[in-house]
Amino acid sequence: MEDEIKHGNVTHVPNKGSPESPHVACSDSNHNNNNSNNKEQDRFLPIANVSRILKKVIPSNGKISKDAKETIQECVSEFISFVTGEASDKCQREKRKTINGDDIIWAITTLGFEEYVGPLKLYLSKYREMEGEKLIFPKQQRSDQRRQHSEYEQNIVFNNNNNININTNSNNDVYSSINVYPSFVPSDQPFSLPFSSNSFQKQL
Amino acid sequence: MRQAGTYSGILSGGISGKTGPHLLPLARIKKIMKKSGEDVKMISGESPIVFSKACELFIKELTQRSWMVTMQGKRRTLNKEDVASAVMATDLFDFLVNLVSESGNSGEAPPPLELDTFASS
Repeated sequence: MEDEIKHGNVTHVPNKGSPESPHVACSDSNHNNNNSNNKEQDRFLPIANVSRILKKVIPSNGKISKDAKETIQECVSEFISFVTGEASDKCQREKRKTINGDDIIWAITTLGFEEYVGPLKLYLSKYREMEGEKLIFPKQQRSDQRRQHSEYEQNIVFNNNNNININTNSNNDVYSSINVYPSFVPSDQPFSLPFSSNSFQKQL
Repeated sequence: MRQAGTYSGILSGGISGKTGPHLLPLARIKKIMKKSGEDVKMISGESPIVFSKACELFIKELTQRSWMVTMQGKRRTLNKEDVASAVMATDLFDFLVNLVSESGNSGEAPPPLELDTFASS
């Protein structure tokens, strides 16, 4: 398996000639590199994104080898699986069907990554506030249209951001499990967000 | 497109303080989550968001620890063995031990020194 892993790059695996592929769903040149390669790429986060993040924590004169990036890429996927497994077990024990953000945070804590929890909770609460606020572009209309559009926007957001259906059976169930907090954000925010704090103060 | 305009307009420079709303693609995160087990059926919309941040923190921590190994070796290129060493040296990353061992033992690097030293003492 490891020999065949290619991380987000067009590969040079021998049997990837397009006419010889047993079945190719897409005729896109990337997807012509046989199906197993496609699946391998899907197992990992894009290496470019991973690279961008890890470059932030090494000095500017530092370099990272390609195999190190790939290893980190694999580790991240393992991390996601590991945490998701814990969160999924918890949901099963509690007879819930949907893994939500709090389950993830719980699993992360349980597995020893407590340091992440603070920033994550902050991030999640910011996201929930944004979800309630971000919907309509014109700020003046935001208070009027916010209630009307909150549900509509939920579907829009997650349909556009997420091209792949989370659950083919009942998308609405998934979307309705999201909690939107329509309340105004207080002006004293933990983050300094120059643009948004200005806009919020106009609201208030 | 409309979502990209409003969403990134509000979040750029905001939550993550970086370019764009999220550093990692949500759809891919969801795929990986679903592959983690058959029991994983329904995932709330905010789960990939949380993971996006969690993975960012994870990548940063793993890289920082690996980079420390690189510096100890007085090198400036972080390589795979440094990552493996960092994993071995960190209890938190125990779940990665098999992963980096498989990668590392494809005939190249010997097992990390910490384990050998520990075992012999």
